[in-house]
Amino acid sequence: MTVEVLADRGARARRDEEVDVVIVGAGPSGSVAALHLARAGISVVVLEQGEWPDYADYTGARPEHELVSTKLWHPNPNVRDNPNDYPVDTSTTDINPLMFAGVGGSATLYGAQWMHFLPSDFRVRSMDGVAEDWPFTYEDLLPYQLEIEREVGVSGLAGDPAYPPRGAYPFPALPMGSVGQRGALGMEKMGWHWWPGSNAIPSEKFGELNPCVRRGTCLTGCPEGAKSTTDRSHWPLALKAGARLVTRARVKEIETNEQGLATGVVYVDANGRDRRQRAKVVIVCANGVGTPRLLLMSGGSRTPDGLANSSGLVGKRLMMHPFASVLASYEDPLDSWRGPFGQQVYSLEFYETDESRGFVRGSKWNCMPSGGPVGVSGATGSKVYVAESGRFQDFWGANLHENVARRFGHSLIWGIVGEDLPEESNQVVLSKDLVDSDGLPAPQIVYKVNENSNRLLKFNIDRCLESVRAAGAIETLVSTPVRESGWHLIGTTVMGDDPKRSVVDQWGACHDVPNLYVMDASTFPTSGATNPTATIMAVALRNTRRMIGERRNQKVA
Amino acid sequence: MSNENAFLALADFLIPAHGKMPKFSDVCGYADVEKSLDFRVDLKPGFARGIAVDPGTGAEARLESLNKEDGEAFSAITTIAIATYYMSPRVRELIGYPGQENVPYDSKATQIYLTNGSLGHVIARGRKYRPTPGL
Repeated sequence: MTVEVLADRGARARRDEEVDVVIVGAGPSGSVAALHLARAGISVVVLEQGEWPDYADYTGARPEHELVSTKLWHPNPNVRDNPNDYPVDTSTTDINPLMFAGVGGSATLYGAQWMHFLPSDFRVRSMDGVAEDWPFTYEDLLPYQLEIEREVGVSGLAGDPAYPPRGAYPFPALPMGSVGQRGALGMEKMGWHWWPGSNAIPSEKFGELNPCVRRGTCLTGCPEGAKSTTDRSHWPLALKAGARLVTRARVKEIETNEQGLATGVVYVDANGRDRRQRAKVVIVCANGVGTPRLLLMSGGSRTPDGLANSSGLVGKRLMMHPFASVLASYEDPLDSWRGPFGQQVYSLEFYETDESRGFVRGSKWNCMPSGGPVGVSGATGSKVYVAESGRFQDFWGANLHENVARRFGHSLIWGIVGEDLPEESNQVVLSKDLVDSDGLPAPQIVYKVNENSNRLLKFNIDRCLESVRAAGAIETLVSTPVRESGWHLIGTTVMGDDPKRSVVDQWGACHDVPNLYVMDASTFPTSGATNPTATIMAVALRNTRRMIGERRNQKVA
Repeated sequence: MSNENAFLALADFLIPAHGKMPKFSDVCGYADVEKSLDFRVDLKPGFARGIAVDPGTGAEARLESLNKEDGEAFSAITTIAIATYYMSPRVRELIGYPGQENVPYDSKATQIYLTNGSLGHVIARGRKYRPTPGL
């Protein structure tokens, strides 16, 4: 039976049926929960506001790729302007949140950089005196990390001395390419840490995933079906196990009874009609913006400040990883349109706290190809390297040809991800005037890059410039902080043991509503400085296993 | 001035001949421009305003005016110009761009960093992480 047939069968919801679990969102965490719950014989319905991806829509292999992808596959929903997404009020934020609604979630547009958090990420308060420790440790999570890697089909090389010893990756690391080799050369000249990139892209055929062919268009959807997203890695298995998936289903409210227990959700279906899905347990996996938005929209008159919000922390402590990039051009050809795009090399040289630097916590760097001629021209598109005050003539005419000749095929980009510390003033609230295509209030982001992040980014940019120049760079361009960089949406329903200082417990259960769970990065007490998808999926698996094991003790309405 | 001539004048100012590279209108016709606009219908309103600016002034002055007074139109004109130009097979040949190509490889091939000693240097520099047992 094909996935299409299974998906169609799964979409037929039964009126007034109460299921064991309803999950909001079919992205990385929701998909993990759905697969493992269904395999345990638990009835599951997943409601996803987007649709199944159509791989024919990914333009990476076609000449118009650079023209089309900057609209159709832009990671900012406000630019994409697709009715399946909700708009975001970004008038009060330094960084735009980036996301995508659909089966596979925002990973549809991720670079597939696959990184575990480090041990110190779970002990920030104990080691560095800031923020909070996590309720569990690196060692507690590692078995789930390794299990998820096998489900996802990760390529990489074990043995990195920046991590404790671990087992082998499921697949060999992807080829490094000239870009990665040049990036590594600079690090080697400086005597700094680097390691071949680990990516959620199998280097060999794996289930529904095809081997990577280095197309280099990971960030705009993989036309090869090689980048691991859960529409290919998890959903074919989840549907076979009996999970049901309803697309174009936008959840507008989590319903509760008089005892304060969740009874299900109300969603708007593809025809604009309100429908109710009753469930014994509700799991929200709608990302660090969508999850608090839904909780704030729920609760009614009994909890006017939003559901599960007695702590007042729903929506607060938003972390988005302030990001800088350094583009470096070299005389030698680097074939810098070739993938893998996500990371050919990464560095954790400056990951841990060194107080002499003037800031706490640290950064992760990833070395990427610079892409096609339009992108590297600096003349249009994202404009990340164009100063607001720049004269347009600086990027056109003879300058255009010279910029493209110098950069195209000859350049690499180091991305610098800085750990973002939680602050209650950085938050998601409901917009008073902006609404989505169903008339529901849009989220508004209130976010300022803090002084620690500014110092962290400046230090790392200076070091990065040293590295690329040591490898022979003839031109460098810096962008910081990159406004269109809020890929990682973290912290807005923080986990912890104290109901007064956290929204959920270590298993994702809301302190106020024990049969309502959050299983996305909203629950993370701190952000680390690595790409979070690996940790998101591992935490979701850990929570799901606990839920299955404790199913007979689960309090329900 | 026709729409075609109005746009080509702007595009040739933005992308003139330089060294081995041809100017816009040497490699792209207006049919190519219309094809690009069909890929990006969202740009059509701004594009229409952009080519309607007073043709009595020179291309640079018109672009200067658009850049200051109608950023959406300026963005539409420049986006269509540069994307259409770099879609041209002749231009791609000149800059050595095959497009986002398929590059087969042997996943089991030994990578150079394993044989030239460079990764060995990283390992030799020792542990980077901070252990947390007991914390």
